[in-house]
Amino acid sequence: MRCLKLAIPALILTTSTIAEAKPISYVDGIMVMQENDETGHTITADYTITPNYAIGWYSKEEENGKRFSEHGPEFNSLIKRWNLPDGQVNIFNSTGAGVAIDGSRNRGMAWTDFLADYETRRIFTSYEIKAMYADSIESSIWQRARVGFAPYAANYNDVATWFMLQVDDHPNKNDKVVVTPIVRFFYKTSLLEAGYSSANTLMFNWELQF
Amino acid sequence: MKKIIIITAMIITMASSAAFADTIKVSVNGLVCAFCATGIEKTFKKQSAVDQVNVDLDNKLVTINTKPDQKLDDGTITKLINDAGYQVTNIARGK
Repeated sequence: MRCLKLAIPALILTTSTIAEAKPISYVDGIMVMQENDETGHTITADYTITPNYAIGWYSKEEENGKRFSEHGPEFNSLIKRWNLPDGQVNIFNSTGAGVAIDGSRNRGMAWTDFLADYETRRIFTSYEIKAMYADSIESSIWQRARVGFAPYAANYNDVATWFMLQVDDHPNKNDKVVVTPIVRFFYKTSLLEAGYSSANTLMFNWELQF
Repeated sequence: MKKIIIITAMIITMASSAAFADTIKVSVNGLVCAFCATGIEKTFKKQSAVDQVNVDLDNKLVTINTKPDQKLDDGTITKLINDAGYQVTNIARGK
């Protein structure tokens, strides 16, 4: 409730903090994403039905604070994209509803999540914010920002490498503000990234597109 | 002699078909990563008229080779690129 009073306009994708992991790919494309960090373990699968919309499933095991799990379908939308000569700006939303499970307690839950990013082939920035309500189990607002650079501009058949810095603000966790340096590799439709956070936890994320 | 005539006819037929295959170079805004490229590649490969697709991120260029005697008009190309989430800035054609 305290967090809800903060009432920040919402921004992200459900799941993924994987910066490259936009919640929409291409029509008929399927994305599977999994992340492990100081907040817990997440898995998401999304199917893109039109250039602007995708549907999927989101599940997360929360840690570093209250331990519970969240599960439910989500609806993703591309609110706006600006295609620039050397870059791209996007605003996405992901909204879902399902169930939160805390031991023997089950509660209905809902979330909305916005992601805004700007990227070129050498520079990446993003901001995302997620508001989640799960009745007596937990309600929270979580924010994340990322900046990154690529040491070289990878072409289509190259392995791309990125170095990033991620800052998380999740007031409901034991570690409220966490900074994570990250190295990311991706090749065509496969992405891997790893980091070590200021909370002394290992971060490991992957994504595949089909 | 008969074999020579048949082979010559086949070569002429192949050459003539090849002459009708198009190479289309599409300049695109918003191409920043391999994920973008894959979306465009998969979108065009679904088209029966398309033989090969190549995405060049350095030059922001999508090169499409059509099958012999198959056409892909500018309107269709623009729509497919737009549907993949990107913006066409120029379309150039050559044989």
